[in-house]
Amino acid sequence: MNKEELKQKIIQIMEEKVKKGGKTKIYLKDLQREIPDANPREIKNAANELVREGKLEYFSTGSTVMFGLPGVGMGLEAGVEKPEE
Amino acid sequence: MGEVKKHDTPKVDQLKTGPWPSFVDDIYSYAEKHKNQACFDIMGQMELSYTNKETHWKHGGIVGVFGYGGGVIGRYSDQQEKFPAIWAFHTVRVHHTAGKWYHTSALKKLCDMWDSRGSGVVNFHGSTGDIILLGTVTDQLEPIFFDLTHQLHWDLGGSGSNLRSPACCMGKSRCEWALIDVQELDYELTMAFQDELHRPAFPYKFKFKFSGCPLDCVAAVARADMSFIGTWRDDIRIDQEAVRAYVRGELKPNAGAFSDRDWGPFDIKKEVIDLCPTKCMYWDENEQKLYINNSECNRCMHCIAVMPEALRPGQDTGIAILIGAKAPILEGAQLSTLIVPFMKVEPPYDELKDFIYKAWDYWMENGKNRERIGELIQRVGLNKFITEVMGLTPIPQHVRVPRDNPYIFWKEEEVEGGWTRDVAEFRKRHPA
Ligand code: SF4
Ligand code: SF4
Repeated sequence: MNKEELKQKIIQIMEEKVKKGGKTKIYLKDLQREIPDANPREIKNAANELVREGKLEYFSTGSTVMFGLPGVGMGLEAGVEKPEE
Repeated sequence: MGEVKKHDTPKVDQLKTGPWPSFVDDIYSYAEKHKNQACFDIMGQMELSYTNKETHWKHGGIVGVFGYGGGVIGRYSDQQEKFPAIWAFHTVRVHHTAGKWYHTSALKKLCDMWDSRGSGVVNFHGSTGDIILLGTVTDQLEPIFFDLTHQLHWDLGGSGSNLRSPACCMGKSRCEWALIDVQELDYELTMAFQDELHRPAFPYKFKFKFSGCPLDCVAAVARADMSFIGTWRDDIRIDQEAVRAYVRGELKPNAGAFSDRDWGPFDIKKEVIDLCPTKCMYWDENEQKLYINNSECNRCMHCIAVMPEALRPGQDTGIAILIGAKAPILEGAQLSTLIVPFMKVEPPYDELKDFIYKAWDYWMENGKNRERIGELIQRVGLNKFITEVMGLTPIPQHVRVPRDNPYIFWKEEEVEGGWTRDVAEFRKRHPA
């Protein structure tokens, strides 16, 4: 999988989760679970690049960071999302 | 500036009556001087928290600066009507310098920037080591980031699932015991791992700390996922005449550090020999001579700290690498475990970087959400981590307690010559 395909796959996973009414913010680990054939370092690089492009955004609790689609789910004024495994 | 609203804070005010300088005094005097509503509101909200016995801060969110996935932590008050000036009160982590040396002019500029763009309240330093700028609003984040990086030449520190800002002791800048240049090493690794520092990379946080010698002034062994501790592999240098001078009471033990009380005459057996953790020292009363079995010494430096004029570390220096300290999260608090007893370190530190990447790759692949690397090692076993993951040869010192389970399952590759087994032949002799 090249980087562009990986990025598309990440967005697709995020959109599907939201469509199904699932989590709007996910950890890097969740992305890795969904894309087992990609290297974790490449997934991280692709996800961070998507943030730079404005297609994903970070959601930080201070101790961990999750990724979400911009404007979807809890945003600016939200408190801490209870971490889910 | 309009009128500021002060809150009645009798409980918080009690903190001013203790023996130590109080942050309450500091925040109030700043608030009065600058007519700063946010500072009055912090005190008001704190009073409310003392009354209700619960926090009124919410933290987390999407705030940050462009291109960075760490360094800013969203913080909001859940009492927006009572304390509107701290409705948004974000924290900015500023990366401290190696060894925490600052020029006062740099600090003044940092404070001026923060007076105008934030609450004026700072914390030197947070537990990871960063300078913590406490309290600003969302609109100020990008201007703060610009001022910090472009005008003042500082950078943000790490937060979230990133590499956290590495920290080291003062090392060679002041301390004669520094066995390696920790500030150089800290700086090199910080620059090498910029991406991991500023953008989330891991299942959870990861901390590097560097101590110039085993006295470990930054408490790396208790605080860092990966500690780099200066050490040596040749023999402790002994000046026997100086040892005798300590024994005769002519030199003060610990360089006089504990002389505020009378501990009685120095007793080399009680204070040095018996406290050596590996019991590798011997004081011969007749010969008046100290012996050290250096092959058993674990380089704890206790004896050297007690008799600094008589004993000095060896001269063939490098680092020991320990992994796995953490505060309680998934599992309880944990100290680090020694993984590499000695490694030579020289710029550009390639061997060290390879070691770090190897540990990270395994953790990124196998760590669970919010699982620190120390917890992962606990889960898979130290044996597997040392041998299969890091590709190192275990040494007896890696073993804390010998196994008491008599069953050993050998793998074929572990047995010299291996084995072949013909099951058909076996069944001929053992038909049932
Ligand atoms: S850890 Fe060792 S080298 Fe560093 S400041 Fe402390 S005593 Fe000195
Ligand atoms: S450094 Fe520690 S282990 Fe080594 S001889 Fe001294 S007290 Fe014993």
